[in-house]
This record gives sequence, C-alpha cells and structure tokens, in this order.
Amino acid sequence: MAFNGLKKAVTLTPSVRTLPSGVPAAPLLNLAARAPADPHAHGASGPRSDVAPRWAGGVSRTSSGLVSKSYITLPSTTPFTARFIHTSVAVKSAPEVPDFSHYRANDNDSNRALSYFMVGSLGLVSASVAKSTVTEFLKTMSASADVLALAKVEVELASIPEGKNVVIKWRGKPVFIRHRTQAEIDEARDTKWQSLRDPESDEQRVKKPEWLIMLGVCTHLGCVPIGEAGDYGGWFCPCHGSHYDISGRARKGPAPLNLEIPAYDFNDAEGKVVIG
Amino acid sequence: MAISTTIYNTFFRRNSVFVATIFTGAFAFGIGFDTAVTTFYDRWNKGKQWKDIRDKYVQPADE
Repeated sequence: MAFNGLKKAVTLTPSVRTLPSGVPAAPLLNLAARAPADPHAHGASGPRSDVAPRWAGGVSRTSSGLVSKSYITLPSTTPFTARFIHTSVAVKSAPEVPDFSHYRANDNDSNRALSYFMVGSLGLVSASVAKSTVTEFLKTMSASADVLALAKVEVELASIPEGKNVVIKWRGKPVFIRHRTQAEIDEARDTKWQSLRDPESDEQRVKKPEWLIMLGVCTHLGCVPIGEAGDYGGWFCPCHGSHYDISGRARKGPAPLNLEIPAYDFNDAEGKVVIG
Repeated sequence: MAISTTIYNTFFRRNSVFVATIFTGAFAFGIGFDTAVTTFYDRWNKGKQWKDIRDKYVQPADE
C-alpha cells in the first residue's frame, strides 16, 4: 500500500543511502565538527584536543593483541553517593509521624455533641427562616387592615324594637336583622327541621335566640326577599315565590338552601353586633 | 456520664429524634423571637403607640 511505502521511506535510517563516494549519507550529522576552541590547543588544524572517553571505544593494547571495546552501559561520570532526604537524617527503627497530641481534643464526646449541636442550630434557624418566608409571603395575599375595617359593620341593637326587621348593607349585600319575639322563637324551635329541604336547627342558625341575623339574598337566584311575608311568617321572595320561615329556612318554592348566615359577633359591652 | 454524652444519646443519636427536636425548637424559637421583638418594640416606643395613648382620646367620647 502506498501509505505503508511512504511510512517505510520516512523511517529509514539515514545510513541506508550512500553517497557516490561510498560514504553513508547523514545530512544532519556534521562529521567535520570540532571541539570548542581550546586556549591550550595548537591552532584550528591538528589533532583533536579533547580525548574521546574510554567508553566510546578506542584501541588499547593488551597481552592478547589490540582490543577495542565500546560500553553500552555507561559508568557514572561522577562519584556515586546515596542520596538521603536530609544529610543528617536520624536513623530510626520505625517510621514515626509528628506528635499531634497537642492538637487533639481532650474530650471526643463533647466535641461530637458540639458538632451535632451546631448542625442542629443551623437546621433550627433554617427552619425558622423557611417558615417565616412562607408565612410572610402568604400574608401579602391576605386583606390589608383598611380593607378589613371596611368589611365590618356595627349595628346598635338597642335601636331595634322587638318584632321588627332591620335591613343594613354589608359588603354590598343586604343583611336582615330580626329582633324575634318569644312566640317566634318558640315557633322556630318547635319546627321539625329534620325533614326540611336544608335541615338546620334554629340553634345552629342563631347565637342568641332573639337575634336572627342572616344575609338577605335568596338562595335561588339572588333576589332580596320581603320580610314578614310568606306562608311561614318569615320571608318571601317575590321573584320566584320562595318561602322562608322565621328562622330563615327554605320551606317552599325553588330555593335550595336556607338563607345564609354571615359571620357576626355580639359586643355585649356596647350593645352592638359586629357583622363580618 | 458526662452531660455531653447524655445530650448526644438523648437528641442526636436517632435522626428522627434529631429532626423532631429541630422542628420543635424552631417552633419555640419562632414564638420566643416574636415575643422578644414585640416586647422590645413596645418598650422602645413606649407612649407613642395608639394602645398607650388610647385612654386620652377614647374616654371623653364615651361620656
């Protein structure tokens, strides 16, 4: 193959090719090289002033005739000395490491406890940071104080006589407040509420029996029912004819649920109810 | 037994106990930190907050 032939040509030794004079061609080997100028030499021409080393061969005369030897394994040109790490190294029977006892902890147990304590403290602080990050982020989603202040309505209860309805506006919706008479309370409590469409007892719907507070939005389609009307002495929705009783429970008509009860609290000290 | 060994055996030996201790401690730390900061804040701003000066303004309205 051409590649192999090329490669062989490259790796040929220079001595393979001979000049017409019979001398091996060695283009990079300068056979005319001379030793560096020596002040003790006798001019440029003449015998070489440097002597070839003995290992490089040369004829010597022995008892058996002329002998020329070349040494392949060269003897050291300098006196051989074993090298140690330090010239004054101490001879020891066994290798030793430095004495670390000064740096070692006196008590491994307390060291271990301290290490775990530090790890635990880092975990504790990280957990607190993570917790407060999450909670503070969630707080940004909650309503601010001014919104919360608008979201509440206070009503003075003393101004509502017994047996009267009051309609107030709360978050854009009407809220019915009824000061119920004892007869109405008894009627609301005696009703068999288990068989109603949305079974709820009167106790579940009021915090104080004389005060019925509920959202004035019909659960059918959102009309505002009319108070003191209907077949059950409660509310009547004029839109589609839903009847609610004196506890606000759906009794007749299309309404699926009882009238909704908003979150409210009584402020007994000031005689008020706070809705929201 | 040294106290460090006792602590190690109580809290650190089992990872479940270790982690539970960390979360319990984080909970207590959160409450304590909040309380400390609030107390410091109230003392630093004594007499400036509404809850301190409320008596001056609310009482006449009630009368």
